[in-house]
Amino acid sequence: MNKRKKTLIFTVILAALLLTSCSSGLSGSSWPGISTNGDTFYVANMAHVYAIRATDGSQIWRFPEKAARVMYFAAPVLVDNQLITGDYQKILHSLNPATGAENWTFEANGPWIASPLVVNDTIIAPNGDGTLYALDLNGNLKWKFTAKRALWSQPVGNSDTVFQASMDKTIYAVDMATGSLKWSKDLGGAVIYSPTLSDDGMLYVTTLARELIALSTDDGEIQWRRKFEESLWSQPVIHEDNLFFGDLSGKAYSVSRMDGTDIWTQALNEPVTGKPTVTEDSVVFATENGTLVALSFTGDRLWSKTIEGKLYNGPVQFNDKLLIGIALGESPLKLVTTAGQDVWTFIPPK
Amino acid sequence: MNIWDSLIITPFINVLLFIYNAIGQNFGVAIILFTLVIRLITHPLMVKQIKGAQGMQDLQKNEKWLKTQEKYKGDKEKLAQEQMALYKELGINPFSSCLPTLIQLPIIFGLYQAVIYAMATTPIDLLNLIRHIYPGLLKVESLIPLNNRFLWMDLSQPERLNIPGLEFGIPVMVVVVVLTTYIQGKLIQPANPNPKDQTAAMGSMMNLYMPLFMGYLAYTLASGLALYFVASNLVGIGQYAMLGKVNWANVFPFLKKKDEKAGKGKK
Repeated sequence: MNKRKKTLIFTVILAALLLTSCSSGLSGSSWPGISTNGDTFYVANMAHVYAIRATDGSQIWRFPEKAARVMYFAAPVLVDNQLITGDYQKILHSLNPATGAENWTFEANGPWIASPLVVNDTIIAPNGDGTLYALDLNGNLKWKFTAKRALWSQPVGNSDTVFQASMDKTIYAVDMATGSLKWSKDLGGAVIYSPTLSDDGMLYVTTLARELIALSTDDGEIQWRRKFEESLWSQPVIHEDNLFFGDLSGKAYSVSRMDGTDIWTQALNEPVTGKPTVTEDSVVFATENGTLVALSFTGDRLWSKTIEGKLYNGPVQFNDKLLIGIALGESPLKLVTTAGQDVWTFIPPK
Repeated sequence: MNIWDSLIITPFINVLLFIYNAIGQNFGVAIILFTLVIRLITHPLMVKQIKGAQGMQDLQKNEKWLKTQEKYKGDKEKLAQEQMALYKELGINPFSSCLPTLIQLPIIFGLYQAVIYAMATTPIDLLNLIRHIYPGLLKVESLIPLNNRFLWMDLSQPERLNIPGLEFGIPVMVVVVVLTTYIQGKLIQPANPNPKDQTAAMGSMMNLYMPLFMGYLAYTLASGLALYFVASNLVGIGQYAMLGKVNWANVFPFLKKKDEKAGKGKK
């Protein structure tokens, strides 16, 4: 092979590397999704869904065994001895939680970014193609409801109604039995994180229009809305009459559920992301820079802990421990006590 | 945000999204117009590059140049010295063809990356995109979600045209990317390349591999990029045509015959 041919081949390979490296991006496109049944943690992260022993953080199985060009990030959901998990291609998988063997699959037209909601014997699964699919426990389609744009957030609901927020700036109330629309409300901004449903029939949702909005589940009537100066990339969590959430400027808020007025604010100085976690005596905020900050319910700083990687959601509480899903870190999962001390760290086997 | 992001990516993203907003939120048309705008801005560089390349091509036929090559073919150092002297004498800058290309490269990569950023298809991609938007220029709440639909395509996904009755989708854009890349390569090749000219041989090889490579990218990546490749190829053909550097006979052989006949007729 002459020198010019070699140069040409080298140039083409270099261009391929440059172009594909510019475009892949999927490795850092989401954060680990976590769920648990008490004995086992299930984590969707990058190319696999892992089953991990709660006691010591060792791997039980992973799905698929060999990595393919498919990514998993939406938190798997356990139901009726099935683990339901969607991938970033188009497939929703039902796995055996004990072995990781595949029971059935369901194909949509877009990526599965959000987790499904399971109510009784119905799996309500929102897809990036803008459709909310209702399946029975064998993966058969019962009904579907189509929004105008992608669905990126997990729905909330009860046995009568499912509430689905959409990137099309609208929240939909859909009949759980038939999939017909009960009401919809234009929120004025796209919704990334799920709404939070209260026991007394209220929905609290943040939008990309930097608003926190409270709506009635009966008819979607807006009870109050509050505009913030900075972007909200957070889902509010309820504790008694308060809502806790944060903004991208690094401020943590406690506001009244009644009218959205401030009860206190606390500067965390790092972008606050995801849904905070309420423990027995604290509310734990996650920051994008990888810090967990525990505040008392009155806003006093109790402890903080910095983790290598980025946090885009609050930890999942498991008994007296917190399970942290970590994006772009060496480990995707860490278990700490509610006082912030390490219990174990899961490093995926190669 | 690093320098590359601040100087290239962020301004490009904002221009792209500004166009998108100004034309009624059609991302497909925005990509086409954005490509056109960037190519027009870098047009003077392209002209310089073509002129430089033409000068170097003409030099290959220059009698003095040929004699120098022959005379010093055994002494590389002396040959280099004589070549430099000749460049000076004829007023040719040997870097005048590659320097504009080097300047254009970061712009092309920036344009490519801006399109990728803007097509944010996942939450973190979207968070990154929002951080690149100038709040004084564009309003996130009215901009997001971007309308990724264009013709039959979802620009954030690899393109396949689904026809009723067919179980598989047809990758139409892949075919268009391969064809336009091939045609562009062919059109800018010299009409009658010297078979001994290694540069021409390399160009022919490139013209074979490049369309396949671009086709592979179009097959696997989001169709918004395929649209950008097609727009870029077509604008490129237009630019070369404006400069009179397009050899239509390379693609339409009947034109060659016509020209030959006309030439004979004149004799």
